[in-house]
Amino acid sequence: MKVLVDLGWFFKERKKQYIIGIITLMFVALLQLAPPKIIGMIVDAVTKDELTSQMLTRWMIILAVAGLLMYGGRYLWRTMIYGSSVYLARTLREQLFLHFTRMSPSFYQRRRVGDLMAHATNDINAVQQTAGMGILTLADSLSTGGFVILTMALTISWKLTLIALIPIPFMVLLTSYYGRLLRKRFRIAQEAFSDLNDKTQESISGVKVLKTFGQQEEDIAEFTERSKRVVAKNMRVAKIDALFDPTIAGIFAISYVLSFYFGTRFILSGDLSIGDLIAFTAYLGLLTWPMLAIGFLFNIVERGNASYTRILSLLAVDPEIQDEPNAIAKLPHGDIVFAVDKFTFPDDTRPSLRNLHFTLKQGETLGIVGKTGSGKTALLKVLMREFDNYTGKIRYGGIPITHYKKECLLQAIGYVPQDHFLFSTTLAENIAFTNPQTDPEKIVAAAKSAHIHEDILSFSDGYETLVGERGVSLSGGQRQRVSIARALLMNPELLLLDDSLSAVDARTEEAILHALKEQRKDKTTIITSHRLSAIQHAHQILVMDEGEIVEIGDHETLIKQQGIYKEMYDLQQLESIVEQGGGTYE
Amino acid sequence: MNKQQDMSAKDQWKTFVRLARYILPFKGSALLAIVLLLLTVTATVVSPLVIQTFIDNYVVPLEFPMKPLWLLAGMYIALQLVNMIASYFQTLRFQKLALAIIQQIRIDVFTKVQKLGLRYFDQTPAGGVVSRVTNDTESIKEMFVSVASTFLQAIFGLIGVYIALFTLDPKLALYTLILLPVFLLVVAVYRHYSSEFYQDIRERLSQLNAKISESLSGMGMIQAFRQEKRLSDEFIEVNEGHYRAGMRNIKFDTLLLTPLIDLLYTVAIVSVLSYFGLVSLAQPVDVGVIYAFTTLLRRLFQPVQQVMARLSIFQQAIVSASRVFALIDDTELEPTQTANATKKITNGTIEFRNVTFSYDGKHDVLKDISFKANAGETVALVGHTGSGKSSIINLFMRFYEYERGEILIDGVSLKDYPIEELRAKVGLVLQDPFMFYGDIASNIRLHNDKLTDEDIRAAAEFVQADHFINELPKGYEQKVTERGSTLSSGQRQLLAFARTIAMNPKVLVLDEATANIDTETEVAIQTSLAKMRQGRTTIAIAHRLSTIQDAELILVLHRGEIVERGTHGELLAQKGLYHTMYELQNGKQETT
Repeated sequence: MKVLVDLGWFFKERKKQYIIGIITLMFVALLQLAPPKIIGMIVDAVTKDELTSQMLTRWMIILAVAGLLMYGGRYLWRTMIYGSSVYLARTLREQLFLHFTRMSPSFYQRRRVGDLMAHATNDINAVQQTAGMGILTLADSLSTGGFVILTMALTISWKLTLIALIPIPFMVLLTSYYGRLLRKRFRIAQEAFSDLNDKTQESISGVKVLKTFGQQEEDIAEFTERSKRVVAKNMRVAKIDALFDPTIAGIFAISYVLSFYFGTRFILSGDLSIGDLIAFTAYLGLLTWPMLAIGFLFNIVERGNASYTRILSLLAVDPEIQDEPNAIAKLPHGDIVFAVDKFTFPDDTRPSLRNLHFTLKQGETLGIVGKTGSGKTALLKVLMREFDNYTGKIRYGGIPITHYKKECLLQAIGYVPQDHFLFSTTLAENIAFTNPQTDPEKIVAAAKSAHIHEDILSFSDGYETLVGERGVSLSGGQRQRVSIARALLMNPELLLLDDSLSAVDARTEEAILHALKEQRKDKTTIITSHRLSAIQHAHQILVMDEGEIVEIGDHETLIKQQGIYKEMYDLQQLESIVEQGGGTYE
Repeated sequence: MNKQQDMSAKDQWKTFVRLARYILPFKGSALLAIVLLLLTVTATVVSPLVIQTFIDNYVVPLEFPMKPLWLLAGMYIALQLVNMIASYFQTLRFQKLALAIIQQIRIDVFTKVQKLGLRYFDQTPAGGVVSRVTNDTESIKEMFVSVASTFLQAIFGLIGVYIALFTLDPKLALYTLILLPVFLLVVAVYRHYSSEFYQDIRERLSQLNAKISESLSGMGMIQAFRQEKRLSDEFIEVNEGHYRAGMRNIKFDTLLLTPLIDLLYTVAIVSVLSYFGLVSLAQPVDVGVIYAFTTLLRRLFQPVQQVMARLSIFQQAIVSASRVFALIDDTELEPTQTANATKKITNGTIEFRNVTFSYDGKHDVLKDISFKANAGETVALVGHTGSGKSSIINLFMRFYEYERGEILIDGVSLKDYPIEELRAKVGLVLQDPFMFYGDIASNIRLHNDKLTDEDIRAAAEFVQADHFINELPKGYEQKVTERGSTLSSGQRQLLAFARTIAMNPKVLVLDEATANIDTETEVAIQTSLAKMRQGRTTIAIAHRLSTIQDAELILVLHRGEIVERGTHGELLAQKGLYHTMYELQNGKQETT
């Protein structure tokens, strides 16, 4: 029941709704008692031949009014209680989402999107169930159950009531036990299903390979195997699921038999009328739901507890990167001076950057080359303040970047990531990501600079073409170029291209580099790349290895140095130079 | 998520009938389930009658002869037992039936997917197809599991209750028949609105989830571009919309579902009591009949309620089924071979003869392509993106059907070889090698169980993949996770080579990777490529011209046409497109 205490803030906030809801609920529970009582009374009157038309009319009107009141009451409490639970889901979802936007990259590095999604969907669902179904079953089983039992005991016979109730606790225990078992098996069945889902996904994504190797039949066999497993696991669920109805029916049958057996004896002894007995069994019928609900209640609350604990612990994670007090609220401008002694990614043991000292002059272009894992991306990440946990300082315009408001720093930076991410909206909106109201002409200009304009025009809806699941799927090169256009449109003080030209062909790369050079004459640019052609023109080139700068200088100097850079350059061109005697290179 | 497909009543009916037909192979099983269902219904209906007899014959006159009473009690208990047992096995039977049917549908649709041509996959996002195979079939399952048995139960229940009512009091029973059109009306009204409301909330939910999931995946970008506020606002709006739809659903369900049925029940009770009351004023009435009537009336209302609660599932299932059937009926099949093709590939001579091809029937992407490669020779295809290189491979691999021109191996049309022969003798190495979930060995072996562990090792050694494999903690048993994300693209490429070499093809088709690979692996890749090509006729798409300098024939493609052809030396001497590309790639036109 801890979750109900934890959710105290919410119940307080929705006090009015819950109080109205629960009071109405109890009112309806009381009204529910009327029909069986009235039926019993009419029956008695009929048996004793005392029924008058006046009496009949009166009771029938009362019954009808009770029916209408119940209808209205049910509407009210459902909107109040279920409505509040939907409201809670909405509130929690919003809290989580806003929290997610504040989390730093290391948070996302440690968690998978799928898991975070599960919190935002399944866990919130479970909490919603607790605040809706949970509260309802609690209030309902207590009030309906209580009222019914009280009425049976007080107005009919407390002895008979006790006897009739003997089997009920077994039902509560059994159904609650089934519930737990069911959930466990259900989870296994879900796993089998998601396994089938993965398998299908894989087969469809790898369809070319399967066709190439002519292995469709074998793949179908494997699929059949997995789908059989799904069936088997689901049957295990069904075996428990099917127990509910017979168990309830059985237990209530025992209650009925007990009621009739002892009820008849009480009639014989004159303690009970026939109408009473009929009313009694009708009341017994009313108990089915609240008793069943108690069994469910345990399960609902148990789940809500676990889920809300998970949500709370997620919300308790503090954003790692925060602005310093009195952070500077102006856009950085000027030279960038790197003086990082050591930087290690969280959860990593090996430092990703070591002894990184260099100066990038305002308006110049810096090229960074090196193998995967040499620290190229890490360098960009610390510059963007995705991580602050390095020793040393990075100054931008003479001020350490940690002294700026993060927002101001980022406002100066246009970033084109390696894994170019596009949102499922129109191409225009993807390019004008920082400001959807951007003048269309500017969007086109940026697209032209990034050499994606022609491609965009070739799509049926041009700039209004949707990207992603529901729209066109772009090639890797096209996505890269859209990302570049997005960054160019910002016309940022500092542009970071993280291996962003890897999937475009040589000619396009050259054209884009040319456009960059034109447009960014007085602006600073950092380009990382595997391919030397992308950074040959840079004012300064860093060659990185294992997080360290191993060579530094411009293309000419580095070539002359006869070091790693030269080696890489030669490797990329070796055959041609040797075979063609193309000695025109140096 | 697809937008609501507005299906006409006729289409819905057709889909329903087609779904129902899936039951036919399981006739026996279905019959058994129905018999069990009938048993439970009978037990439920007869029980109140037993109690009615008890009240009227023994309680009212206050006579309790032991023997008939025990008989009655025994009957009641037996009925309850039958009810319990039959209801358990009936539920189980229906589940089993449903699962068996769904499995069949799944296999059908998956088999169909495997037979679809690549054109289909190029046009359809993978997520959509996966959804058809798994999620849509799952929602059909829901229909068979809960809807089918509930509907049947409801129909039998109604019939059973009415039989009981008629035996008790035909006249009153006749009056209660008026409830049927009322039920139908309520169901119709509910169905009408619920389909719209449920569709609406489902769509909003999927929008909401898509928004969360996309924002999470793209959080890096959102933060880098400082769009947290804007995205949050957008999210809040979607969230709010979903909330409002949820509230509307609650109100709607409350007005038309359980509370309404309860209200109708009260009205029915009022009518029945008034009837008995009025009759009793004139003549005596059996109280047991009043008991049975009121109890049975409740049983009459229960199934209606259950049916209504499941209507939306039913509707969703029909929509899902129509999507699944649409996929099963898709005609975008893979190219077919000539019937009874028996030819075998012996030498591996390849010839393209005046091949012209178009994907959409309007724009030709290949125009009059002709070339020949003798056994063991390499033909290299060079050109910019969109020049037609991949199309040539698509046709040669029989991914797409060609109609104009002819493609021959050893002088015989591609279409005249059995597909198995082509798949066994022609090896394709893909640009972005796809890795399957499993381990290194299984990724080389794929489904080919004839390959021994030795063969696998030999293949890996041949393509120099053994170096990096041996360095993995578990070597060949090392797990390969989703898409091989733990391997570098170069390593994936080497594995793809090994995969192809393991089947020892006569003809090799290479689609070289554009993405950059670290220099060390690159060397291994180049060496392996050269080794693989030895003794095999090869068609190679090359992005790095250096790779194919020794090719016997280089074709330079531009907008679907061969604009230059010859050996490396000849082409360089021509000073044409090839020459320019070569210069460009080698950084001749240096920018600084």
